[in-house]
Amino acid sequence: MLQTENALFTIVMVLYFAAMILYFLFIAVKKDRLATAAAAVQTAGLVLHTAALVCRGIGAGRLPLTNQYEFATSFAWGLCLVSLVFIWRFKFPMLGAFAAPVIFLVIGYAAMQSREVRELMPALRSNWLGFHVSTAIISYGAFGVSFVLSIIFLLRGSMRDQGFWDKHVPSREKLDLISYRSVSLGLLFLTFTIVTGAIWAERAWGSYWSWDPKETWSLVTWIVYAVYLHLRLRRGWRGQAAAWFAVVGFVCVMFTYVGVNTFLPGIHSYA
Amino acid sequence: MKKVWIFLSSMRFAIILLGVLAAACAAGSFITQGQSLEWYASVYSKRTAALIVALRLDDVYHSWWFLLMALFLCGNLLACSVVRLPRVLRLTRSAADPEALLAGPATVTREGVADPEALFLAMRMPKPKRAQVSGREALVSAQNRAGYWGAWICHLGILLLILGFGLGQMTHREWVAYGVPGRTCQVGDTDYLLTIDDFRVDLRADDTVEQYTADITVRSTLTGEARSARISVNAPAELFGYKYYQNSTGWAARVTVEKDGETLQDEVLCAGEYLRVTDLPDLAVYFNAFYPDYVLLEGRGPATASGSLNNPGYLYSLYYQENLVGMNALLAGEEIKVDGYVIRFSEPRNYTVIQVKRDRFAPLALAGGLVTTLGLLLALYVQPRAVWAVRDDAGKWTVSGLSPKGGVLFAERFAEAAGDVEKQTT
Ligand code: HEM
Repeated sequence: MLQTENALFTIVMVLYFAAMILYFLFIAVKKDRLATAAAAVQTAGLVLHTAALVCRGIGAGRLPLTNQYEFATSFAWGLCLVSLVFIWRFKFPMLGAFAAPVIFLVIGYAAMQSREVRELMPALRSNWLGFHVSTAIISYGAFGVSFVLSIIFLLRGSMRDQGFWDKHVPSREKLDLISYRSVSLGLLFLTFTIVTGAIWAERAWGSYWSWDPKETWSLVTWIVYAVYLHLRLRRGWRGQAAAWFAVVGFVCVMFTYVGVNTFLPGIHSYA
Repeated sequence: MKKVWIFLSSMRFAIILLGVLAAACAAGSFITQGQSLEWYASVYSKRTAALIVALRLDDVYHSWWFLLMALFLCGNLLACSVVRLPRVLRLTRSAADPEALLAGPATVTREGVADPEALFLAMRMPKPKRAQVSGREALVSAQNRAGYWGAWICHLGILLLILGFGLGQMTHREWVAYGVPGRTCQVGDTDYLLTIDDFRVDLRADDTVEQYTADITVRSTLTGEARSARISVNAPAELFGYKYYQNSTGWAARVTVEKDGETLQDEVLCAGEYLRVTDLPDLAVYFNAFYPDYVLLEGRGPATASGSLNNPGYLYSLYYQENLVGMNALLAGEEIKVDGYVIRFSEPRNYTVIQVKRDRFAPLALAGGLVTTLGLLLALYVQPRAVWAVRDDAGKWTVSGLSPKGGVLFAERFAEAAGDVEKQTT
């Protein structure tokens, strides 16, 4: 099973890379069919990626959501899933062109992690782990997409060849709303993550909140996006300012994800 | 005065508070918490260390200013919720009221619609209600009005959450008990006695720990009533209102003290504990650590080669009149001989560390978390929408839609639906 997973993982990386190249060609050659092909390749990648995760789950005899490698590959999966949903829902293939490099970066990071399957320490053996980490994956994926959308928003003004870009990139007003949709998804799932994490911590560590750096940074991230929502309610803060805020929010997400493990000690450091 | 109140209950103040709180949380995660002035001075400069301690940055989350800001946030949320309640009520009522809708703003409007009912259907709105507004025939349909309550409920949840967390911090009680099976101890300063009946460490084939399980009995010294439970990691038990957690484990051993072939003491000693020789109180032995598979690594000192009891090694220190006089590791068959006393370590076994806790306000915090989540779900995913149609003199209809959150996305969907309906009717 784990060998199958290994093989699938390599194919998935190739597919994500191919999708990225196709998206870039789409921008270079300006042929709509290339965007359709890129999205199709990305979808195929997602399907095989799902299969790879299932294989690993069967091979390890548990949910594949417990160490750096498993979380990184799942994060890439979440990003790919949420970006495809947004591409499809808002008929916005250009989103894929900007999301593909981020997805490839994350899966590349996953490839650098150790793929060894380790048995779980007792504190991690809980059903809450599944809820906690799977909601985190959707949340991170959605915040990743809001980050990509905000980058598109900030670049929108300087996009030349207006005919092509106008056709494939929505207006700034609409981009802002789509970004708001993805922040909403991310924030809702981050709330699920924090609540399930607190319930689990109460059972495993005897305390639902201990100001552990990972907890603290997920709270900081949560507050940053809550401020984003409030600023959007004030006139004049929609658009540009909100886009910058979503970028800052994603920096917090990334810090919670990798920075905390790298720079700060804590009880979360095994995951 | 009024200006101050308006500011304190404003969203601008909320944003400032949230920003400062987030910055404080971040600072608390970067600066190691709970250290001494000397410690900070050794890591940072003397000046910085003094500043850290003066600003209570060594214990951010319990500092007076962090608490004060949390209180301000609660006051702010409460005030804002009180002020906004009538508005939310009014909005919910007027959102389906034909007169109010027709008089209010619309996100999008389309004139000359022949079949408004088909458009309602295409927009997936509930069946419209008929009404007469200023002598005109109107159709009105509203949806997802619960969404207007989202922010309000979310704020209420945060209030409950902070309240539950704060009260819990102030009133919770917590102790740690440890021992080998058979040991009984008092639970903190309560009227309960905790007996460890059994303790098991389940190992996998590769020596990693699968689970720690303890059987415990808690007895009330007042009523004599006793209750038993099995606890393991991730599965605590609640007995007499206190929660018992299987927290961690360590090694213990049987220690005997003999003189002239006569056993003077025979006790179970946990690693980290002292044994004083009752016959000669100046003499004490400290059980530093236990190594189930003892090896001496060059340059690194004692370690264990595996988790199995292949070569038990007991690291001990000997004290005479409170002065350290020796430190060594005892292997199988070895003993400490001092002043005619013989001290032996044997029968290594695991002891359990059990955490006992009571936080009466944890359910309130949990309720707060769930209410917050519900509020967010309503605020972000139940978007209020209304569509209404008014008949003009020519018998055609003017159809309008309102979606405060949907904006252009809603307008596009509306235009698409209207286009589809027109195509179907022609
Ligand atoms: C961590 C704390 C907070 C969170 C998570 C939070 C969350 C929210 C959410 C989700 C919304 C709806 C936003 C949207 O629909 O896009 C909202 C709206 C709002 N919040 Fe907060 N909030 C917080 C603190 C506060 C505070 C302290 C105030 C105090 C004044 C406040 C005032 C408001 C107001 C006035 C609205 C607009 C409500 C509406 O449009 O119906 N919020 N908040």
